[in-house]
Amino acid sequence: MFKGPAVPANQFHDFHPPISPEGLYWVMPVPTEGLTFSQDGTTATLQMTNVPIIDQPRWPAMDAETTPAFMDFKLVFKATSEPVKYEDPLRQFRFEGFKANAQLEATFRVPSIDFTFKTDPLDTSKCDFAVMGTEVNGKYYEARKS
Amino acid sequence: MQFTLDPKPTENTLAYRHHNQRSSDLDRRNLLKLGVAAVVAASLPGRQLQAQSALDTCAPPIPQNHAPSNGGSCPYPIPWLDKNGNHNQSPAPNVELSNIFHFKGKLARCNGFHGMGTDNKGNRFAWGNPTTDYSYMAGEYWAGRQARQGIFTHT
Repeated sequence: MFKGPAVPANQFHDFHPPISPEGLYWVMPVPTEGLTFSQDGTTATLQMTNVPIIDQPRWPAMDAETTPAFMDFKLVFKATSEPVKYEDPLRQFRFEGFKANAQLEATFRVPSIDFTFKTDPLDTSKCDFAVMGTEVNGKYYEARKS
Repeated sequence: MQFTLDPKPTENTLAYRHHNQRSSDLDRRNLLKLGVAAVVAASLPGRQLQAQSALDTCAPPIPQNHAPSNGGSCPYPIPWLDKNGNHNQSPAPNVELSNIFHFKGKLARCNGFHGMGTDNKGNRFAWGNPTTDYSYMAGEYWAGRQARQGIFTHT
């Protein structure tokens, strides 16, 4: 979140999950009911409420202090008909899917400072890049002969 | 792995032989070296203790009641690091989009979110930046020496 133009100097909140002890970066588990797909599989909705996160305004400073916070969010992906495939045999991954549109609405709460922020409705948000599909990596990856 | 001080250390045979052969070499020069080493060593314990206590948190737990030891059930991060030293790739074409290694399943990821919102005092603020990204990863991952099912999100 920014006071004024969205540049680092104006950032006064940064909400995200903690980094796990294993180094997993800002990743958290989702309850089974949190992710749903349309019948044709082209729309995915990820919705969670009261997710424990942290507010870390001075991220990525190593000593950036954290404050417990909570997040509700709804994220909707809609696949387009434009296929994409990203593969790197050396790094053992292959993603196959479609370019997509994604929109997000969220509410963030920092109880200790009585702060709440609610984004404008879902259909007003925009993102620059989105894809939706399937991925294999690591031990599940096998290079395909073209 | 932990190392502890053995109250009855075994003899270091090579060092013992070396000492016997060159006992006359323990002259003033060597004593001086020993003294300098002692001063340096005396200045280190605090740092060493800190480092050791940090390493202690990396020690795997000893299984109780003969339980097996196969590792944890949490997913592994992508092995390589981004420019900030994190196991994270900012999503873009032709980069690894998953945050989980040894994974197969459904994945979607988006980047560069931006929008506006309102705080509880009625103030309007911009949110998002070029690296504001979200994802889901739903499927099978490998951890603790076995395949597991899970849904995860990177936010």
